[in-house]
Amino acid sequence: MDTNKRRTLKISGDKIVLLAAIAAVFALFTMLNKNFLSVTNVINIMIAASLVGLVAIGHTYLIIAGQNDLSPGSLAAFSGVVAALLVSKGIPFGIAVILTIISGIFVGCLNSFMVNKIHLEAFIATLVTQSIIRGFAYIICGGKPVSISNKTFLILGKARILNIPLSVWIMVICIAIFGVILSKTKFGRSVYAIGGSMDAARLAGLSPKKIITTCYIMMGILCSVGGIIFAARMNSGQPAANVNLEFDAITAVILGGVSFAGGVGDMGGTILGIILIQSFNTGLTMVNVPSFWQYVAKGGLLLFALTTDYLRKQKREKDLLAASMKNL
Amino acid sequence: MGSILEFQEISKYFPGVKALDQVSFKAYSGEVLAFLGENGAGKSTLLKVLNGDYQPTSGKYLLDGVEKHFQSPHEAIEEGISIIYQERQILLELSVAENIYLGRMPVNRFGFIDTHRANEMAAQIIGDFGLPITPSTKVKNLSAAYQQMVEIMKAYSRENLKVICFDEPTASLSDAEIESLFKIIEKLKSEGKIIIYVSHRMDEIQRITDKVAIFKDGRYVDTVVTGAVPEAEMIRMMVGRDLGDIYKSLDRDKEIGDVLLEVKSVSSDYVKSNSFVLRRGEVLGFSGLVGAGRTELMRAIIGADSIRGGEIYLEGKRINNRSPKDAMDYGIVLVPEDRKLQGILANLSVSDNINISMLDVNSNKLQIVIKSKEAKLAKEGIEKFKIKTSSPDKKIVELSGGNQQKCIVARWISTNPKVLILDEPTKGIDVGAKSEFYQMICSFAKQGLGVILVSSELPEVIGLSDRIIVMKSKQIVAEVAKEDATESKLLSLGMIGEVQE
Repeated sequence: MDTNKRRTLKISGDKIVLLAAIAAVFALFTMLNKNFLSVTNVINIMIAASLVGLVAIGHTYLIIAGQNDLSPGSLAAFSGVVAALLVSKGIPFGIAVILTIISGIFVGCLNSFMVNKIHLEAFIATLVTQSIIRGFAYIICGGKPVSISNKTFLILGKARILNIPLSVWIMVICIAIFGVILSKTKFGRSVYAIGGSMDAARLAGLSPKKIITTCYIMMGILCSVGGIIFAARMNSGQPAANVNLEFDAITAVILGGVSFAGGVGDMGGTILGIILIQSFNTGLTMVNVPSFWQYVAKGGLLLFALTTDYLRKQKREKDLLAASMKNL
Repeated sequence: MGSILEFQEISKYFPGVKALDQVSFKAYSGEVLAFLGENGAGKSTLLKVLNGDYQPTSGKYLLDGVEKHFQSPHEAIEEGISIIYQERQILLELSVAENIYLGRMPVNRFGFIDTHRANEMAAQIIGDFGLPITPSTKVKNLSAAYQQMVEIMKAYSRENLKVICFDEPTASLSDAEIESLFKIIEKLKSEGKIIIYVSHRMDEIQRITDKVAIFKDGRYVDTVVTGAVPEAEMIRMMVGRDLGDIYKSLDRDKEIGDVLLEVKSVSSDYVKSNSFVLRRGEVLGFSGLVGAGRTELMRAIIGADSIRGGEIYLEGKRINNRSPKDAMDYGIVLVPEDRKLQGILANLSVSDNINISMLDVNSNKLQIVIKSKEAKLAKEGIEKFKIKTSSPDKKIVELSGGNQQKCIVARWISTNPKVLILDEPTKGIDVGAKSEFYQMICSFAKQGLGVILVSSELPEVIGLSDRIIVMKSKQIVAEVAKEDATESKLLSLGMIGEVQE
């Protein structure tokens, strides 16, 4: 039993480090700009985090399952344009949303097809989609943003409940639901299992390809929903939007303790990762770091995340060796 | 100028395994020292520690009294320690000379590679070795034996070569080729090299080696002078136990029922057409050499590899396994050979590993996994199979190999299978756990399961099976009844496909 207790403590140990990092980021930026901790700004951080958050949910599943996805930025932009176009053609908002989500599902299917059937590496397969979908985002609107005049659509971007914007509520609800699915359900267990060893999971009677397909489709839906909300906030569907969205989401997920090696991580960590990266990004803008340098800083943050991932993995292996020696 | 290689209390641990445990001994120049031990006794691990491929967990090794600590095989080679592996480590597209001088080709005064000189230098070594090959031949055009010679020459071409180790060097050589290898080894010996020779073949050890270092379960047992100790005695030191008693004490009183599984002309991309039947309550052994197609046949049966032709009948009904899940639903399950990669889910706990195939049963309508059901199954499995773990939530990789394997068996038994296929179930498992497995296998058969036991350990197959099928070159070549099975018969069938008296 004591090992069990120790492990729980150890996991929360990782989270404590993350919380400390968040506190440090907040302290630093508050020092540099005292408006950083204002209610308006915190809400701004949450709004900005809402799209990254949705995508990070998808990445949490995919990376735990040993996969990845580089197409979310393109797909979110594409979805925003599609929804805006459909609405501008007089199609009711609800139906436009459904059609847009179907297009997201289709992209998810395409990604999983390349991974499962053509046996491409997830990185390369989704790089293909990233380019293709971005291209279509420009093609269908002729390269110009599609402005939105539909009232319901615009409300999606402006409505607030308890002073918290709808987009934030949607993200929070999605994180809660998908968090429960990941930790409590049969499907969630299967995701961890195939991330541990695809072969072993298949021989144990699971269907890795179906699970992987489901994960990619989930990601497709999350990106479409995120893209629609983003378009609503911008009052237009923009084909050039959301570049590097996946970069932020992946950084958040890895910071949160999901391992590129697969099979490790949880939604709680992802939440902290999202908060950390978004406060970092917003902070950089607030203290007037030029956008060129922001790229450098973001790269540095991802490098930091990957290094901690590596160190954690090494520590796991060392602990494992030590623990297994006790049993001999 | 005799050199001495000395190991001092070398230990090497891997998760769940003590691969080497306090190994200490010396090897002297001008001697051929054999490493003898069962699979997993630690021979290869020790070589990998010596050449820097692995870092020892503790202990040290000394060459001529100087402590060495190689970080990579490359460093070891630089210092005069080379290992010739069973699998060739040479570049097939390059010439003989280029391979010998790889990374240190002679250059002319302009700094360009001087192929001509390299060929001359190589020709000299080839002459020393008395081989009929030319330096400019591409290595891919040579036979396996000559490719191996190229590797030996590569090691030999280093002026400072002191230690040369051969890891199962004759596995893919013909008799004539073995002869020429032995000549080379004699030559190296006469030049005062330290030669380590790892092999399972007793006749070779008797012929070529001067001393035999015997290993058992990661520990060094003793070094004996070759020929001074009878073979049977050496084998006893290797095993250090009489397995006969284990088999005799097994409860094999049971009833063999009607046909449970019938495999008719089943083939896949990896195995030729094969047919056999398995009866209820029967333990059907599958013997043969590694690579004979036993694992591949089992994978085809459970749908892990897709079937090219043939039919499978379970209790008289035709079934079609398109995936291991289908097979599991019909009640045919496999404990795979490669426990690390195909058996355990290394990132998950003991409980999760036991329950992973029961997710359907353990979850409610909302697909939520019910913790109490999992806890109950895990507890049952741990108690029934005496899995040594301090908690069901412990990570499975923290357990010893035997206990990990028990978790996989517990996983499958909880699904209530009809046919249990065990592929090398006791590989890398300590002796105590082995006998527990044997008892388990017998009790499964007694309960009416059909058990297929794929095993390369002959005493195990003979001691447990009611009937033994022998495979060779991806095909079943013979079926032997329990009463007629002897080790030499099975080995002979597995190696040449017939019994030679």
